[in-house]
Amino acid sequence: MRATETGRSRPARWLALLAVLALTVAACAGETTDTTGTTSGAADTTEATEETTATTEASTDTTAASGESIKLGILAECEGAFGGFNEDVVAGVTLALINHAGATSNSTTTALDGFANAVAGGREIELVGIGCGDDTADRIIQEIRTLVEENGAEIVIGPLSGDESIAVANYAKDHPEITVLSGIAGAQETTLQVQAPNYFRFHGDGAQWNAGLGDILHNQAGWDTAAIIVDDYSFGWTSSAGFIADFCAVGGTIAPEARIYPPLGTTDYSSFIQQLPDPDEVDGYFWVVGGTGTTAALEAFVNAKGELTGDQHAGNLFFNPGLASTLGPGIAGAYVGGFATPPGDVSSPEIDEYLASADAAWETLAGALSGNEPAPPSVAAAFGFFYGYYSGGVALVNALNAVEGDLSNNHEALRAELAGMTLELPYGPVSLDENRHGIVDVYLSQLVLDGEEVVQQTVALIPQVDQTFGGTFSADTPGPSRDFPGCETADLPWSGNAIPVVDGVPQE
Amino acid sequence: MSASPSKIALVAVAAALVALPLVSSEFVTSFLMTRILILAIAAASIVFLFRYGGMVSLGQFLIFGVAGFMVGNAVGDSGSKGLKLGWDPWVGVIFALVICLVVALVLGALASRTSGIYFLMLTLTYAVIGYYFFGQVTTLSGFGGITGIRPPPLFEGHPWRLYYVALGLSLVVYIGFNAISRTPFGLALQGTRDDPIRMASLGFNVPLHRTLAFVIAGFVAGCAGILNIWWNGQIDPTSISIGPTLDLLIIAVIGGISYFEGAWLGAAVYVSANIYLRNVPLVDQIGITEARFNTVIGLLVLLIMVLSPEGIMGIIDRLRRGKREAEASVPAMARVGSG
Repeated sequence: MRATETGRSRPARWLALLAVLALTVAACAGETTDTTGTTSGAADTTEATEETTATTEASTDTTAASGESIKLGILAECEGAFGGFNEDVVAGVTLALINHAGATSNSTTTALDGFANAVAGGREIELVGIGCGDDTADRIIQEIRTLVEENGAEIVIGPLSGDESIAVANYAKDHPEITVLSGIAGAQETTLQVQAPNYFRFHGDGAQWNAGLGDILHNQAGWDTAAIIVDDYSFGWTSSAGFIADFCAVGGTIAPEARIYPPLGTTDYSSFIQQLPDPDEVDGYFWVVGGTGTTAALEAFVNAKGELTGDQHAGNLFFNPGLASTLGPGIAGAYVGGFATPPGDVSSPEIDEYLASADAAWETLAGALSGNEPAPPSVAAAFGFFYGYYSGGVALVNALNAVEGDLSNNHEALRAELAGMTLELPYGPVSLDENRHGIVDVYLSQLVLDGEEVVQQTVALIPQVDQTFGGTFSADTPGPSRDFPGCETADLPWSGNAIPVVDGVPQE
Repeated sequence: MSASPSKIALVAVAAALVALPLVSSEFVTSFLMTRILILAIAAASIVFLFRYGGMVSLGQFLIFGVAGFMVGNAVGDSGSKGLKLGWDPWVGVIFALVICLVVALVLGALASRTSGIYFLMLTLTYAVIGYYFFGQVTTLSGFGGITGIRPPPLFEGHPWRLYYVALGLSLVVYIGFNAISRTPFGLALQGTRDDPIRMASLGFNVPLHRTLAFVIAGFVAGCAGILNIWWNGQIDPTSISIGPTLDLLIIAVIGGISYFEGAWLGAAVYVSANIYLRNVPLVDQIGITEARFNTVIGLLVLLIMVLSPEGIMGIIDRLRRGKREAEASVPAMARVGSG
């Protein structure tokens, strides 16, 4: 009887093994993107061999470097709502090292294979790992602990997302032996409240990026009342806080019941859209729904409330002309908040040089803006996610050069250099406040029709916006949340003083 | 009086774990092993409910999370989320454990009248409710969670101390859960697992026994949750969402859901794979990156379910039995030969 059972089970086991092998092959073969569109990093064998050879040759050419290498970790984002930006953010750091530290990319089609030959301050910069975040604090803590405590990273560039950055800043506070340069995470609490002495952010936060938008919507577009729909996490709260403070400062009103907060990563927004007031009850809607949720939320609005009319909608950085491809040209007219980079109509020789350097560094990159399909690298480089990480990389290289690679005494010299530097970047200089947070220029824009095509046109520049938002926020005020800030009039420095931008040129 | 090989092995493993901080890197002790032990303690509570009560619970990670959120709210004193009560860490521990016991008692009482798939579904519902509760109630957390929670001064800056606490608690839980099987309560609980109708007809209060088992398991999961927030410094609703909830069950299944040792083995496999899989040379060339971790774990579980439903401990048990049978057959053959 026993022999019979065994005899029966053997074919079953082999079948199971075969099934597992088949599943493995099916899961891996020919797959270049995951569910969020992140590149897998799998490379053609021949190409990989060539690249390995190139890397070996390159790695011998480090005569400029001396002493131990500086160990760098990158906190990227391979899963979750922003998983599609994995390639973009790693490429941002890599391009900074290519342009300023003499690095060479290990691949011509992806930054995820790393780089070689980066030297700053006379020391080689070694990439010890790329952390894989999923926009949650829990995961990013595991990732930074692996980078720092296992791989020995001394410097970390990242993370991408708001809640992640608060957790990472708290981690940095407890680990004075590392220095963290923010990727592009825009939660206010990260620097204004946590105030880790070794966390540096060479970009703005979500509130800063919306400075001046409420003024335009109230005084130019004629909005007196607005409803907001906001991703329910730190960046969403910060981004909406900027809009609320700005819009209410000049006399607009946002009723408490007109603030709707769907969780980040929601796929079906219909129940949240139903809670919004109808189009005849408010003058406009402000959208702070990012990542994979932007289109889904707007589609749910169309299904529940009727067609989009651009003059009744505005959004933060996630509004872009690409929305027209699924929502139609009705979105034209919508105003859009700023980000780390302005729209493409703003140009300068420095911007052109920066974008050309990205195109020279790789043949193609599969960034999020091209739907994670291969595209010219400048497509990714022109957007803020890439650029935020690029800014962190440039700051690191400049500071290392200034202190000649000195990381002694818990990076004391490096931190002093970072805190005091005014970073000259392609899209304009950035200096830091006393909390090591960026004071930035903000470009506001509008989606407009160019023939039948929807394009993004810069309409205003708000120069030198600081994190306190003209004194509205401080370490003593609560962090942005569902309830804060309230809606109160105030005197913001830029109200009525926005610099108009025509054809990409500020009319100063 | 001679010790059995399994007891010798257990003592050897325990001794090795005690000596580990002396010979391993800080990362291995304070990150890898501490995380393994914390998850294993929580997974052991699943094993306890299944082994003695026949209940497969998906509610354990919720109680694990409740403990973390309660410590976070009680101890935290800054940031934008949570109650920020700023209490003494040890008062926070007592508060968290009391809340865990109350939650476990209420949830256990509700679930105790169900069994099988219905118990599983009900506890899954608990997990979903817990996720949205802490996500939506920003007074206690919000989706961003509570960050910057510091452990008691005893552990701050001394991660190996937390490791030893996790190790000590593991031993207590392991010995305690094994000991319960021989108590009147444990025997009655196993009776309710095997034949609840007969136990009821004999005068045993089956729902009460199940409820008490759920409370005991909840207390253990809560202890693990407290260690977790001390170790991690933060907790958010995603930490207790469906993904991690299923992961804890997967840990128990990988190790062997009928064996207490399996909880620790399963946690070791799960956490090690999570951390080290990405470092295996050339593994990314076949598409297995960190983003594919869940695919790999899924395949591993599939393999185990088909080849050894009793998990890794089932394989070890079979090998041990095979060896014993082989040893027993040798003298028999010798007797036949000599005869």
